[in-house]
Amino acid sequence: MAYSEKVIDHYENPRNVGSMDKNDPSVATGMVGAPACGDVMKLQLKISDDGIIEDAKFKTYGCGSAIASSSLVTEWVKGKSIEEAGEIKNTAIAEELALPPVKIHCSILAEDAIKAAIADYKNKQGK
Amino acid sequence: MNYFQLFNIETSFDVDLQQLSSNYQTLQKAVHPDKFAHASEQEQRIAVQKSAHINDAYQTLKSPLQRAQYILVLRGVEMPNEQHSFQDISFLMRQMELREMLEEIRHSSDVDAALLEVQSVLSTEYLQLSKMMRAQISENNAASNSAACDNLRKLKFYQKLNVEVDRLEDSLFED
Repeated sequence: MAYSEKVIDHYENPRNVGSMDKNDPSVATGMVGAPACGDVMKLQLKISDDGIIEDAKFKTYGCGSAIASSSLVTEWVKGKSIEEAGEIKNTAIAEELALPPVKIHCSILAEDAIKAAIADYKNKQGK
Repeated sequence: MNYFQLFNIETSFDVDLQQLSSNYQTLQKAVHPDKFAHASEQEQRIAVQKSAHINDAYQTLKSPLQRAQYILVLRGVEMPNEQHSFQDISFLMRQMELREMLEEIRHSSDVDAALLEVQSVLSTEYLQLSKMMRAQISENNAASNSAACDNLRKLKFYQKLNVEVDRLEDSLFED
């Protein structure tokens, strides 16, 4: 299967790979997995007191599309408020990366990772 | 007729694989193309379709995870959409760790030992989950079926890991 240039670019030069301290109260961690393909994705966001995402890191074990989707998302969420980040839709990710239909679930995984991270943050903040 | 009935075996997670295989061969013989060499085109086509059906059934019942899924579907258990992401945090953390372990094998001073260790960890954890799932399937009530579904999804992550291990093993030891 042919990957789009953007997928290959993110796959070969992934942005923001890494980890943050998940016990840091300002760090939100989203963990999601896709049973169909066994992909595992971890997205971490560093969130300022006023709810702005200052930094994002990811670690993904999966196919090129899953890695590209999470890499792209880390670029997109930086500087956004958690509300804005929560509105990122998988369709936008899939469109940007020109994902074929069989790889749409990779973009869903990335969207779910953002949602899971935000839920973790709200949970931590006791809101 | 469901797959178990097709092979004339009890609908159960515990399948005698030898019996399954011998029943499979008997069924396939009956629809073998040689038998239909002089039959009409329609009969030949039906035989080919039957053979494909028998093969699907065999592949499904032979694989423990596919068999488990098939039984749960037969019971009308609603399988979670495969596209839906899985969010059991501690399980996924463990999956991350296992993938990191796998990644580090390549850089280990004793690659053989590191590989063996990962394989043994994976098989222990797989077996634990698989035992739980088997008990839940045989219990067969709403709660246990749904718990079995959950474990089935977890086992699929291990199945994927095993594929990765095999791939790594091939790449490490190829000349």
